[in-house]
Amino acid sequence: MEERKDYSFHAYLRGIILLGFALLKLGMIISGSIQLYIAPTMMPFIYGSTAILFLLGVIQILRSTAGDDTDEAACDCGADHGMSGPRYVQIGIYSIFLLPIALGFVLPDQTLNSSVAENRGVQFGAAEASEPQGEPDDTGVIQAEEGENFGEDTSRAEEYMEDPDGYMENVGEGSADAGAEEHYTVEEYYEDEQFDSYYAEMAEEYEDVDFLDIDEDIFLDMMTMLDQNIGPFEGKEAEIKGFVYREEGFTEDQLVVARFSMTCCIADASVQGLLIESEEAEQFEVDDWVQATGVIEETEYNGHDMPVLKVTNLEPAEEPDVPYVYPSF
Amino acid sequence: MSRSSKLPSWLKDGFGIVLLLLFILAFFNIDTLQEDEFFSLSPEWLTVNTIFLGIVIEAIPFLLLGVFVSSLIQVFVAEDTLQRFLPKNAYAALFPAAVLGAIFPICECAIVPVVRRLIKKGMPLHVGVVFLVGAPILNPVVAGSTYFAFRNDLSIFYTRFGLAFVLAIIIGGLMYILFKNSDQLKWRTEELRGKESNNLAQVPVNKQNRLKQTFYHASDEFFLMGKYLIAGALIAAMFQTFLDRSTLLAIGTDAWTSTAVMMVFAYILSLCSEADAFVASSFSNTFSSGSLVGFLVYGPMLDLKNTIMLFAFFKAKFVIYFMISVTVIVYAAVMITQFIVFL
Repeated sequence: MEERKDYSFHAYLRGIILLGFALLKLGMIISGSIQLYIAPTMMPFIYGSTAILFLLGVIQILRSTAGDDTDEAACDCGADHGMSGPRYVQIGIYSIFLLPIALGFVLPDQTLNSSVAENRGVQFGAAEASEPQGEPDDTGVIQAEEGENFGEDTSRAEEYMEDPDGYMENVGEGSADAGAEEHYTVEEYYEDEQFDSYYAEMAEEYEDVDFLDIDEDIFLDMMTMLDQNIGPFEGKEAEIKGFVYREEGFTEDQLVVARFSMTCCIADASVQGLLIESEEAEQFEVDDWVQATGVIEETEYNGHDMPVLKVTNLEPAEEPDVPYVYPSF
Repeated sequence: MSRSSKLPSWLKDGFGIVLLLLFILAFFNIDTLQEDEFFSLSPEWLTVNTIFLGIVIEAIPFLLLGVFVSSLIQVFVAEDTLQRFLPKNAYAALFPAAVLGAIFPICECAIVPVVRRLIKKGMPLHVGVVFLVGAPILNPVVAGSTYFAFRNDLSIFYTRFGLAFVLAIIIGGLMYILFKNSDQLKWRTEELRGKESNNLAQVPVNKQNRLKQTFYHASDEFFLMGKYLIAGALIAAMFQTFLDRSTLLAIGTDAWTSTAVMMVFAYILSLCSEADAFVASSFSNTFSSGSLVGFLVYGPMLDLKNTIMLFAFFKAKFVIYFMISVTVIVYAAVMITQFIVFL
């Protein structure tokens, strides 16, 4: 009889813990803070599991109040799940379950910052370079191409804005303008089997857009697309928002505007960003949120070609409520 | 903290009610509690907390899936059914097991309860091992995420799944050579007693009862498995926060060491196999394709959180042999493929 009572107390306590998990999840869903832990693609699983936890919790509590009809209460799997051991072990085991519930309710939500980013490594450019980097490269300092090139590219953008069709024809022919040699058309890339058709289609879509607003929704795709195929986008204006990240070997006018991306949950977050160059760069601390507007160009860093944003305007920005970006699929 | 059977029942009921009221109170004040920072920790520990909660919340749906599949097997599958479908020859069972593993969409949080249940129902150990190492990789969801993460380099996609399939069979075969059909599960005395009576009295129960049993069983198993998962998530979160990755990166300079480093990474990060491809692709700047395959094949087969589960449910000697075999076989296979495919 004593054993039976103990058994029903375990069912009762477990029921309450299950309800605790369910309430924590529901609370996070309602307050929206769940987005700081779980990516949107996983949300159906979270909704489903919250409902199941509520159901299981209620069933457990009903089970504990069921009469002493032992056959009905015990699942007949050979007494598989009894909680045994001395009292302190049992308290310890239940504490393990109470821990995440208590921490979840009580501790403030934290968003990941650049110290985590540094540890995880930040991807900016050169996504396809697969060789190990080895020793630090002292030729990594970037020859800033200000002045002429910068002006030239701006004027090219202006030229495009005034007469898009004519400009595109020019670029398409390639030979018409000596400076256009380095510009490729999307079609050429499309032929290249190395280049994935998803990003080729995306490049096609954005090729005619002269201002790239790199917002949350397209951040990751845009980073990959620019890495793979900067040709058609050189000289275009772009705007990007993110937190400031710096690496050893950066010059004073360089920083990376980065975002954490999340696939399933925060544990798999990785960091991607765009290198920018601006005279005001040094005014911003690591982790500050900034909005940068400028012109996309290609540069070389640590021996890799990569896109860089030559910034015309760099200003502080508010950190969004949900600072993460997610893959588009 | 009063949880003893010696305490009066009003105190126990009261404790439960207080706990529930605390949860409800916290639920309605979740914003105030968090924003006013009544309780707070240093930023590093808050990061640990964030990653810990992320892993736990993310894993719960899949753990629930695992325990429900396990309890459905427990309640609805009779022991002789399994025996009937298994080939008589131990080695002949390996290949169909790997194919079945590819069909079940079960990841590594869910696979341990399912495999344990199947073995308890009389499935041979080595067939269970094939499921254990194969199913978390060989499933449609993982295939999708790996494809998207490595769209630029599909050779990684093909080698990951090719290796997982072949290695699951090899590891299963080796486990058969080492352990034959010996019982490697841990049984408590009361379980053995229960097993006995269970075998004697397989009374057919009515349907309503079966449904109830499935739920009872699932929630019991949730508590049985959940504690190891939560403990593993906490350790993994601490590693993710405090381990300085650059020291590990510095070790991995050539093909041999970088593969080893990526396998160590895979083990301690304890990522869900559905998401690990994206993490691997974020390493593609610094690591060779071959070592990324090592990361992608080894991680779902063995990691921190499922090691804790394995030690809890299987005999220690078996778990150690299993871990050594998986590690050596995966490392050797990845090195061989590296020289064939990626050079």
